[in-house]
Parts: sequence; structure tokens; C-alpha cells
Amino acid sequence: MLNCKVNGKEIKVKQGTLVIDAIKQADYDVAHYCYHPGLSVAGVCRLCMVKIGDNPRLQIACNTPVQEGMEISNEDEQVKDAVKWGLDFHLINHPLDCPICDQAGECELQIQYMKFGQYDPEMAEKKVKKRKVVDLGSKIVLDTERCILCSRCVRFTDEVSKTNELGIFNRGDRSEVGTFEDKPLENDYALNTVDICPVGALTSKDFRFRQRVWYLKNQSTICTGCSTGCNVKVYYNEEGLFRVKPEFNEDINGYWMCDQGRDVYKFVNKDFRLLEAQSVTEGQAEPLSAGKAAQLAGEKLKELTKVNGPESVGVVVTGQYTNEEYESLFDYMVNKLKVKNIYHWVNNSDTMDDFDGLLLRGDKNPNTYGLKEIMKKYSIQTNMSDLEGAIKSNTIKTIVVAGPENQAVYPDFNERASLFSQASNLIWFSAGPVSAATSKHTLVIPTKTYAEKSGTYVNYKGTHQSSHKVTTIVRGALSLSDSVTLMSGESILTKPVGPQKAMKTNFFVNKSGEL
Amino acid sequence: MAEVKIITEHYDKDEFISLEGYKKFDGYKMLKKAFKMSPQQIIDEVKSSGLRGRGGAGFPTGVKWGFLPDNGEERYLLCNADEGEPGTFKDRKMMERAPHQLIEGMIISAFAVNSHKGYIYIRGEYSYAAKVLEQAIKEAYDAGLLGKNILDSGFDFDLDIYRGAGAYICGEETGMISSLEGLKGQPKLKPPFPAIKGYLGKPTIVNNVETLASVIYILRDGVDGYRKYGTEKSAGTKLFSVSGNINKPGTYEVPLGYPLMDLINNECGGLKPGRKLKAVIPGGSSAPVLTAEECQKANMDYESLAQLGSMLGSGAVIIIDDSNCMVDMLNVIMHFYHHESCGQCTPCREGTGWLHKVVSSISSGTGRLQDIDLVDEVASRMMGRTICALSDAAAMPARAFIQKFRNEFEFYVREGRSKVKGVTDAQL
Amino acid sequence: MSIVKKPDWKANWYLIGIFSGLWFTLKTMVINIFNKDKMPTVNYPEEKYEYGPRFKGNHVLTVKKDGSVRCTACMLCATNCPANCITIAAAEHEDPTVEKYPISYEIDILRCVFCGFCEEACPVDAIRMGPEWQTPGLGHQDFHYDIQKLAYRANLKGGVLSRVDDEERHHAGI
Repeated sequence: MLNCKVNGKEIKVKQGTLVIDAIKQADYDVAHYCYHPGLSVAGVCRLCMVKIGDNPRLQIACNTPVQEGMEISNEDEQVKDAVKWGLDFHLINHPLDCPICDQAGECELQIQYMKFGQYDPEMAEKKVKKRKVVDLGSKIVLDTERCILCSRCVRFTDEVSKTNELGIFNRGDRSEVGTFEDKPLENDYALNTVDICPVGALTSKDFRFRQRVWYLKNQSTICTGCSTGCNVKVYYNEEGLFRVKPEFNEDINGYWMCDQGRDVYKFVNKDFRLLEAQSVTEGQAEPLSAGKAAQLAGEKLKELTKVNGPESVGVVVTGQYTNEEYESLFDYMVNKLKVKNIYHWVNNSDTMDDFDGLLLRGDKNPNTYGLKEIMKKYSIQTNMSDLEGAIKSNTIKTIVVAGPENQAVYPDFNERASLFSQASNLIWFSAGPVSAATSKHTLVIPTKTYAEKSGTYVNYKGTHQSSHKVTTIVRGALSLSDSVTLMSGESILTKPVGPQKAMKTNFFVNKSGEL
Repeated sequence: MAEVKIITEHYDKDEFISLEGYKKFDGYKMLKKAFKMSPQQIIDEVKSSGLRGRGGAGFPTGVKWGFLPDNGEERYLLCNADEGEPGTFKDRKMMERAPHQLIEGMIISAFAVNSHKGYIYIRGEYSYAAKVLEQAIKEAYDAGLLGKNILDSGFDFDLDIYRGAGAYICGEETGMISSLEGLKGQPKLKPPFPAIKGYLGKPTIVNNVETLASVIYILRDGVDGYRKYGTEKSAGTKLFSVSGNINKPGTYEVPLGYPLMDLINNECGGLKPGRKLKAVIPGGSSAPVLTAEECQKANMDYESLAQLGSMLGSGAVIIIDDSNCMVDMLNVIMHFYHHESCGQCTPCREGTGWLHKVVSSISSGTGRLQDIDLVDEVASRMMGRTICALSDAAAMPARAFIQKFRNEFEFYVREGRSKVKGVTDAQL
Repeated sequence: MSIVKKPDWKANWYLIGIFSGLWFTLKTMVINIFNKDKMPTVNYPEEKYEYGPRFKGNHVLTVKKDGSVRCTACMLCATNCPANCITIAAAEHEDPTVEKYPISYEIDILRCVFCGFCEEACPVDAIRMGPEWQTPGLGHQDFHYDIQKLAYRANLKGGVLSRVDDEERHHAGI
């Protein structure tokens, strides 16, 4: 550990820490654009100027390692002047088209101007005109005029995705970021460049113009796109989820996430959801509320296990639920109904162990390992292929399916659904509509998606990560645990926790007399 | 004191270009001497001779060589022949008139720093010089002066030419290394310095053509012989490329510390008749300009010019007489830096463009009075804020022009025309 | 809150009040009959009062020279609106110099409080508050003003052209 002083405040930092990180550690703001902790140091924006000791020449904080006893100041007048002018240099050729720029609201130019700038601009000359709205393939739009040439995106494609598509062309103030001959930027991690772009030069086509960022709230959660379990932030408002961005977690995803994970929010939105439960009897569909449907399912299962025995019931589980949900489902099935025919539905056994070397994994379920753990705990050893024979030979007459919430990653979804439909009774928990479930007696119960419930997911290396509820999209949906509680005939009314306190009365309520 | 010809002694003889002719005038003799010495001896010799880099920065060469880490890694010796500074043309003359001098200097230096691979990074526009050098390198290979086991000394050295594509910034040592590596010619962040981590991540020494050639004469004359000329801190002779409004422009070798006015009046034959000296840029376009009064007390060495707030740079002396408009001159200089900025660091990328736009708006007659202060203010904020010195190189002349010739700028803004042109037109 | 007071005893003499009121009415009527020009009231709706041009009435979306709406769908007006009465949906324009434009722009005029913040927030002079104020309608649907109504209603005669023109801005290097 090294001792150093930042603006007079003494702190201890690790050996090899850069001055810029030391300043952040000491809770001071430092202006910077090109420095990104996940990338190499470029040192080109020249904004993170600090004064070190009595050295009259300012140093850049991002390329200076802390030394023992260093006295760092970034609140010196000289530093302030350098930062102010540094911002001025950045802004003189910036087009200031904030009204049509998607980055407005989270733009580093805006934020840092308000923090460190606030000067009267002196530039009276014409700005340099560059190319706007350059199409970089299916994901990204480039605006070279807004670009401040921090080179973060270029370094990202060089160092992280190692695809080297981006480069800086030309020189001087004619410099432009771009791809060779405008070839598309189509690697699996391309949208990270949009995240790290401090300005609106790179914008995501998916999110482009859909919302202004200040209308969105964000919350941390876990990406359920694959078994890596990246830590992400979802951005949402009352209309639904709008985008997903990675959040730093050193052990799992670093600063990045893949582009496929960014599409995972889509099935959560109302358009792709099952809004209420459906009971289909001999082709006659009848809508009903999820709670009612769950109670009905519980009664039915009780009756069927009594009549046909627990061996006639088969349960199919996918790796897309939380540990808590598995626990309640298994407890209900194994302990209460004595059903032992629980099968693990694997969507893609061939590509299960694929890994692209960075983040993306072939196992498209967030909690396969959690499911395996729980199956071990209840000592259930079954094989999905046995189920087909059991259905055909009519030994299994009732099937309960805890179906996938992200149906798009299940290529055999419809095929399986029609197989399950051959059983005479089918109870299907699903977040999205299941049109292929056409059994004689079908009950489809809407479930919550990962953004609507709290729970624990276990990733590929056994890390238990808890995710928290973000928002509610479909009010009628139930989590699997709630459904199971209802099925077992209990109520899910939450009781107040802790000692009861008298309700705080409003001063103006019940006040009578003269005013 | 007058012109002292040490490096340029035989430059007037055409046969000096070829290997045979070069050998006739004691060529490659010092190489044999060097092989008898130990590398450390040569470094010590160069160190105590006080030889300073002739490319512009004036960093002591021996000290630079001493920075190389002793970790057994491969080392590279690069010769910086990317002479881009406006006004400089000494390296071209050296390469065209005495290619073997450079080769010999490089072999000796490579032996001293224990490098087995060298490159001459030559400016793209110097096609004739490149041709001459290529021919000379071929001759040297054929004569066993390059390649394996040079002159049975057991020392190997390979030398190649790399032609630039015409970027001023590739004259900066790390920019040159980037260009050699096949990347965009942009300076690299320092530290690490090239002596630690340079070309291909290996320790690298970058020296100017004149510096490398001087090593021969340090060995020939010894430390005392070399120190006979020049001043205490600026030892030896230096080539100056004199251009501008002067009777005999050209390359002159004079000892360091030579008075500027003597150089103008004696060697260069004075100004054109009827003209008055107005200003001198003593070290290439990036050196701050000197007024006529300052020129009187200026000596051509590193310290004297630094005292006057200017610098020796690469030794490009540009003489400006009273027929030139300083505003238009600054406009040309600013256009150059605007065009040549690599675009990496923001203050330089945007600042050079801004300065050029402001100065050109003044010289097109649409400037405002506050623009003059703005130029000074912007230029002052560009100094010392970037990776390489190009930003400073653009800011220094801008500030010096404004400070020293403010009245001309003010006249231009007020009248919308040059002060000088009106005067000279009347005289003509 | 209403506070009921006991009537004053003087109020019992109400006939005096009535007659004095009637007398004032009669007097003013007679004056107005002989001095029609100075009459402070107008015969609405046959006669209509014209407010000054800076009156903050119904909104107008200004148009560009080619007749398209100036609005860039930056949503600053919607953000700034205290009544939350502006709803905008943005889309990508084919012309890269325009880039973003509103495919729908609706003002719920019944919610609007006519504060003028939208006009102030607009960075491109795309929304103004005009002098119109008579906005009758038969149902709720008549009070959702869309682009057609806001920019091209009949009495705007093809739309209001903004002073700031993109071409000039482009030329000035802004």
C-alpha cells in the first residue's frame, strides 16, 4: 500500500494504482473522456490534468502511477483552467445537436461541462463539418461530427473483442472514426462501443429515438440470456423495458456484455406476454385470472394424483427459474404430491458447452446449474427422452410444464409443446403465449419474468447471484412460487411483518370545528 | 571566426558520394578505430564531447544512449531523416552529398549501443536522397561494411531505408516509431520512453542524421578536438539551413555560439539591397521569432537563444525582411500546423485548427480586435498539454508573432489590409 | 371552504340595494346607447375580441421552408410541461440532415395550462403559442390536437414559417 494525498486528503492505495483511480478513490471528481478502466491508456483527451507536488508542468492522471508520498491536486487554479480549456477544445467543433442526439441526458460532454466548464464560448469561426448518420450495419449508427475522438471504441475493438473493425481516419481536426469502407460493425460485442462512447457518436439502432434517457429509471439485475449471468442494468419506465447495459463485476463479466444479452429484455415487454390465464377444454378457450387458474390447477392435481396415482403425473422444468421457485415447486411436487417424474428440459444439448472465449455461452438458460443442484437435492434422476415413451404409452396422463420465459432460445419449443399436448391434462406455466399447447384439458398460467421477481440464479461456475425485482409489466402474472402456494391451497396474502404500529394519522383528516 | 568545415569538408566534391571517393578522404577509418575500442568507451567519449541532438530538442546524445536498459533485449538504432520542419534542409544535403558519412556514423553508433538492426526513416519527399542512400547501402553491403561480421570485427549490423509518406509528425521520435511499425504516424504516450520500449516494444535509440555523422568526428578529433569549437554547453559545429530574404541562402557549418548577425552578413552575404532586417526565425518554423533588435545579441547556440525566449531547434534560420507581412506569415505557419497535427490530443487537434481559422480570418480582413488576444490565449492553453511537442510548436510562433508584432496585427484588423504591402507598393 | 355568516341587519334594507343597482344599469345603458364606441363589452359571439400577438393561446407548430414540421422531437417541451399534456413519438427521418422527426405530436389541450414553458424550452423555435383562444369542441376527441391541427389548421394558411432557417444555420456553421 502506498500513501498519497489527494487535494490534502490522505489515502492509501494499492501499488500500481493510477492517479486518476486514486482521485476517484478519494471521492473527488476528475474530468476525463478517453480513460476507461477496462481499456488501455490512450492519454489523448488531456482533461484529467493534475498537479503533482510542486511540478509546474501538469501531468495527466491516467498515465501516472501513484508513488509513495505523492501530493496530487486537481483543484488547483492551474488545473481548473486547463480543464476548462480542455473542455472548450472538445466542444468547439462539436455540432451541439443535443435535441436530436440520443445521448443527451447521459452525455459526458453535458455532464462535465456543467461540472467543470460553464464558461462563455469564444469560438466564432465555422465548425468543421463531418459525416453524419453513417450506417454501421444492423446495430449501430455513427455520427462522426459528434465524436470527440477519445478512441475508446477503437481500443475496445482492438483489445477486448479483438476484431479491429474501427479506426481513426485522417488527421488533425479532420479526423474521423470509422470502419474501412464503411464495412458493418457486426461482432458479438459491438454494442459495448455504444456504452463506452462518452458522447452520441455511436448510437444503438435498437434504442435509437425510442425514449429520451431522462424518462427512464434503471435498476441492476442479472442477465438471463445465458449461463454466464452477466450483471446488468435494465432501463425501464411504465411502458416497459427499453434497454440493457452491462454493470461492472470483476468476477463475471468485467465491464462488458454481449449483444445477444441486450435483446433479452424484449420478451419481458407486454406485447410478447401472456396477460391472463387460459383454460382450454376441448378447444373451448376461457380466460380467467392467474390466481384462480392456479387454485384450479391445484385442485385438479390433487384429484388426479388421488385417482391415477402420482406416477401418472409428469413435471417438466426448464432452467429459466430462480432457485426459490424450484425449491417451492419441488417441495410441492415431491413432498406433497409424491410426484417423482420430474424432467429437465434442455433446449440445446449440442451447443450446451459452447463458449466464445469472452462471455457468450451456449447454454441459454440462466439457472441450469441451480436446477441441477435442486434435482440432486431431491435425488431425482430422470431422462427427458423417457418422457416421450411414457406419454405415448399413456402412463403419464398429466403434465405440468414450468416452461421457458425466453421461448426464442428454445428451438424445439413447438415440437415439445405438441408432444406434451398428447397427454390428456396439461398445466403450463409460461411468461409468453403458448399457442402450441392444445391438450384436451389445458391450463396456461402466466408467470413473471426475471425483471418482475427477486430470486437467485446460479451461473456456469456455481456463483450464486441474487437479482432483485425491477418493475411490474404484467399485473396478472404470478411467480412460480406464488402459483405453487396457491396450488397447495394456501393464500398468498402477505401478512404484516413485525409489531403493529398505529397508523400515522393525517393532521387534516378528521379535524372538525372552525377553520 | 568564420565557417568551420568539419562535417561538410568534402561536400563540394562529387566523388565523395561514392564509396571509393569516400574512402579516399579517410572514409570508414574511424569505423576501424571504433572496433578497436569498447562500446562503453565510445559512449563515454560521446558523453564527454557534449554532443547534443541536432534534430531539434538538443538532448545530450551520450546520456540518451546511457538510458538503454541492460536486459539483453534486441535493440534498434533508428536514424531520423524525416526532416519536416519548414526551413530545414541540412539533412537532405548530408544524405545527398555524403551518404557514406551517415552509414559510417550509424555503424559506429550501433556498435556503441550494441544494436544489430538499424533503419533510416527518410522523408517521403526526399526521393533523390533516398536513391543515393540506397545505392550507398548497397555499396557498403558489397564491401562488407554492413551485414554479418563487419570488417572481421565480429559485429553484425543490418541497415534499411524506410521512406515516410509525408507527415511532419513522423519526425517526432515516437511518431516515427509508430510509422515504422506500420501504424498511423501518431506519437506514443510517454513514459515509457523509446530507449526503454520503442520500436516493436524493444529498446530503441533515435538520432538525427547530423548527430550520427558527428560521432565520426568526435572519434577522429577526440573530445578536446571536438570541443575546440562551440561553447561550453553547446559543443562542436552545427549545420544551419539559412533561407528567406537573403542573398546567399544555403547550408552553412559554423561553430555553435556563432553570432547570428555574422552568419547573416558574412556567410550569407547580407540582405538584399535596400531592405531592412525585420525578424529572424532561428530554429525552424516552430521556434519563436526574434525581432531585429534581439538578433543583434543572438548567438547561435542552445543557451543564448533560450535566453532570448527562442530555440535553436533544427538550425533552420529564416530571415524575414521588411517586405514581408507578419500576419500573412503567421497564417502560413498556422496552416502548416493545422494540416500536420495528427489529431490525437484534443488541445492540438482543435487548437491548431482554431488558431488557423482565427489568423486566416484576420488575414482575410474579417478579424476582430479581440481575436488577437484570443490567439494568444488559445496558444497559451495549448502549450505543455499534449503528448508530443507539435502543439507547443504551433503555439510558440503564434504567441511570439502576436507579442512582438502586435501593431501589424492591429493594423490589419483595423484597415483590413496588410501594413507592409501598402508600404512596399509605394516604395516599388 | 365556505364560511357562512349570519346576515347583517343592514341587509334587510335590500330594496335600496336593488334599486341602486338597477339605476346603475339604466344609467350605463343610456350612456352606451348614445356612446357606442366606448362600450367596454363586445357582442360575443357575433363580435370577437382580438388579443395582442403575444397572447399565449393555442399552440402552433412552425414549419420549414419546404412545409414540413420544424420539430425535431427532442421532447424538451414534453419534459418541461407541468401539465404533462404533450405526447411525442419520434422516428428516424430519411434525410440524414434532419435525422429525427416526430411521427406523432399530440397536445391534450384540456390538460394544458397555457404556461408557455413549451415555447421557452424549444431549442429550434418549433412550437409557439398563437393568439387563438376559442377552442370549442363536441367531445374529448376534439381536444387532442395532432400535427395536422397544430401545424396546418385552416386559419394558419399553410403553416407558420420559422425565422431561423436550417440552411442559414448550416451556412453560418452553427
